[in-house]
Amino acid sequence: MKVTFPQLGNTYFAVKAIFDDIGIEYILPPVSNKTCLEIGSKISPEEMCFPFKIMMGAYIQSIEKGADTIILPGSCGPCRYGEYCELQMNILKKLGYRIKFIVIDAPGSIGKDEFLNRIAEIGKYSRKTRNQKIMAVLKGYKIINLIDELERKARLISGCEINKGECKRLLRECKKEALSTSGSKEMIEVLMDYREKLGNVKLDSYRKPIKIAIIGEIYTILEPFSNQYIEDKLMDMGISTQKTLTPSWWVKNTVLLPFKLNSIDIRRASKKYLPLYIGGHSRECVGEAVLAYKNGFDGAIQILPMGCMPEIVSKSILPTISSDKNFPIMTLVVDEMTGEAGFDTRVEAFVDLLERRRDKNVLYGY
Amino acid sequence: MRVGIPKGLLFYRYHKFYISFFQGLGVEVVLSPDTNKDILNEGVRYCVDEACVPMKIFHGHCAHLKDKCDFIFIPRIMKLYENEYICPKFCGLVEMVQNSIPDMPQIISEPIYADSLKSLKKWAFKVGFKFTKNILVINKAFNTALKEQSGHIGGLNDKEFRIKVALIGHPYNLYDSYINMSLVEKLNKLGIGVITEEHIGTSYINKEAEKLFKKPFWTFARNSYGFGAYMAENKLADGIIYASSFACGIDSVVVDLIKHRIEDFPFLELKIDEQTGEAGFVTRLEAFTDMLKRKEAEAI
Repeated sequence: MKVTFPQLGNTYFAVKAIFDDIGIEYILPPVSNKTCLEIGSKISPEEMCFPFKIMMGAYIQSIEKGADTIILPGSCGPCRYGEYCELQMNILKKLGYRIKFIVIDAPGSIGKDEFLNRIAEIGKYSRKTRNQKIMAVLKGYKIINLIDELERKARLISGCEINKGECKRLLRECKKEALSTSGSKEMIEVLMDYREKLGNVKLDSYRKPIKIAIIGEIYTILEPFSNQYIEDKLMDMGISTQKTLTPSWWVKNTVLLPFKLNSIDIRRASKKYLPLYIGGHSRECVGEAVLAYKNGFDGAIQILPMGCMPEIVSKSILPTISSDKNFPIMTLVVDEMTGEAGFDTRVEAFVDLLERRRDKNVLYGY
Repeated sequence: MRVGIPKGLLFYRYHKFYISFFQGLGVEVVLSPDTNKDILNEGVRYCVDEACVPMKIFHGHCAHLKDKCDFIFIPRIMKLYENEYICPKFCGLVEMVQNSIPDMPQIISEPIYADSLKSLKKWAFKVGFKFTKNILVINKAFNTALKEQSGHIGGLNDKEFRIKVALIGHPYNLYDSYINMSLVEKLNKLGIGVITEEHIGTSYINKEAEKLFKKPFWTFARNSYGFGAYMAENKLADGIIYASSFACGIDSVVVDLIKHRIEDFPFLELKIDEQTGEAGFVTRLEAFTDMLKRKEAEAI
C-alpha cells in the first residue's frame, strides 16, 4: 500500500513525519502547480470549486508515481467539502484507476466504531506498536504547531527586517530542509534550529510596517499556489501579514469543538455580525476581520474560490464591518481563470491605499 | 401591524405554513408580487455578485417590501430534517439581506430548526411573542399552520401526456415561472408531461440515497438524487430535466452524482441565471424533446 493525501498548506510536513515514523509507504503530493490545475480542470465537473480541481490534479500526479490509496479527511458540514469523497471516487473510477479511498469523517456522523475502523485500516500496514503510533501522532502535532508558528513569525516580522528578504529565505530553506529529513525526530530538530535562526534575524524596531490580515476560505489561504503566492508577494513589498486559519488552528479547533471551547475570541468578535455557524469558515472570516481591526492591522484581504457558498455570505457582511470600523477590506475571488497580472494590480492598489491612509508619504513602511 | 413575506426561495414550498401562521397571530400579511423584471433588477443591484440567481431574486423581493411593512419575515432555515442541512447561504440569508439592503424594517430572523416538532414549536413561540402575549393564540396559529402545510403536497404530475420527463431542481427554480421562463408551460406545449419529486414516496427516495457511499447531508441533494436515480432505474419517465441555477454549489455535486448513476438515460441540464436568453433555452428544450420523441417512435 502506498498512500497519498491532499495537499493543504503545511500539513504535509506533519503527515510525512507520522508516516515515516510508523513505517507506512507514501507518496508526497506534488506541490500544487499549473499542471495539477490543468489536469484537474479537465476531469472535474465544471462548476465544482477550485480546491477540488487542484486536488484532483494532484491525485492523478501522485497516482502516476505509484500511489494506490488516498486518505481524505471528510466533513459533514453544510459546505461542499463533505461531498468531495463521493465525487472523487466516481471520477477516478471512470478514468479507470483502481484506487482505495479511506475517508476520515467526524466520529459524530459515521459512528465511533466506523471511525476507529477506518483509522485502523491505515494503521494495519504498520508494524509498529500502538504506543509508537500514538507517539508518532503526537509528534506530528508538535511539528504542525512548530511549522505554523515559524511561518507566522516569519510573515509577521518580515516588515521590520533589516536585511531585506532574510525571512523569506529562511522560511524557504527551512521547508526545503524539513522535507529532506526522515522521521519526526530529525524534522523537529531542523524546525527548532530554524526557530532559533528566525529569532536572531536583525530587526529595525523603529519601522512600522503595514500589517494586513489574510482572511477567507481556508484552502485558498493555505495553498500559496491557489492565491497566486499573495503572502510572498506582500513579503517582498515589506508588508507584514498574518492569517489565523492554519492547520494547527484547525486541529485545536476540531478537538475543542465538542466542548464548545473553540476559538472563543472569534466567536465573541463575530457575534454582532454573524451570530451562528453556517458552515465552512464563514464565521471565522467575519470574526477575524473584526479582530484584525482591534489588533491594529491596517487592512484585511479576503480570498475565496469562485462559488464558495459560505464565503459569499461573509463577503456580503464584510462591507458593513468595513464602513462601521473604517477599516479597509478587499475581496479577491480566485479560480482557474485568475490572471496573475490583474491580481497583482489589485493587491498593489490596495497596498497603496493603505499606505496613503497613514497620511505620511512613505514608501512601504519606511 | 404588517408582516412582509418575500416570495422567494422556499416560499414556494412552505407558503401555506408561513401565511396561515402569521394570519393566525392576527397580523396583516403583505406578500411581494410574483417575480418580475423590476424585482430581478433590484436584486441584482443589491446582492453580492457571486450569489446565485434565486438569492438575488430574494433580495429583490425584500427590497420591494421594505417600505410596505413593519416587520419582514426572512426564514433562516437551518435544518429541515435530522442530521441534514440545507445550503449555507440559507443559514446566512438574514445577514446577507441586512448588510446588502439599506433601511430594512425589523427582521424576523429567528433560526428555524424544523427537524423536530419541538424545536419548530419553540421557534413559533419566539416569533409569536413579538406580536401577542397570548399563548393560546400562538399555539392555535401554529397548529392550523401545520395542518394547512401538511394538506399541501404541491409539485406536478401530468397524466395526459404520452412522454413524460422527471423535472428535478430546487423548488424555487421549478415553480417560479419567471426565473425558469415558464419551463413547465413550454414543456407542456411541446407535448411533454412533467413529474416532480413530491409525487414519489419518500421511502423510495431515501432508499436510493442510501446506496451512496456517503449519505448526502443536504436535504435538497438527497431528494434530487434519490428522485432522479429512482425514476431512471425504474424507467418511470422518459428523460430527466435538471433545472439548476448558475453557481449553485449543491447542484454542481448532485448533477454529477446523477449523471454518474444513470449512465445513458436521457438527461438535460438547464442552467438558469439572470442572463439566460430565452431563444437558446427554447432551442435546447426542443432538441431534447425531439430526441425523446424519436426514441419513442423507434421503440414502437
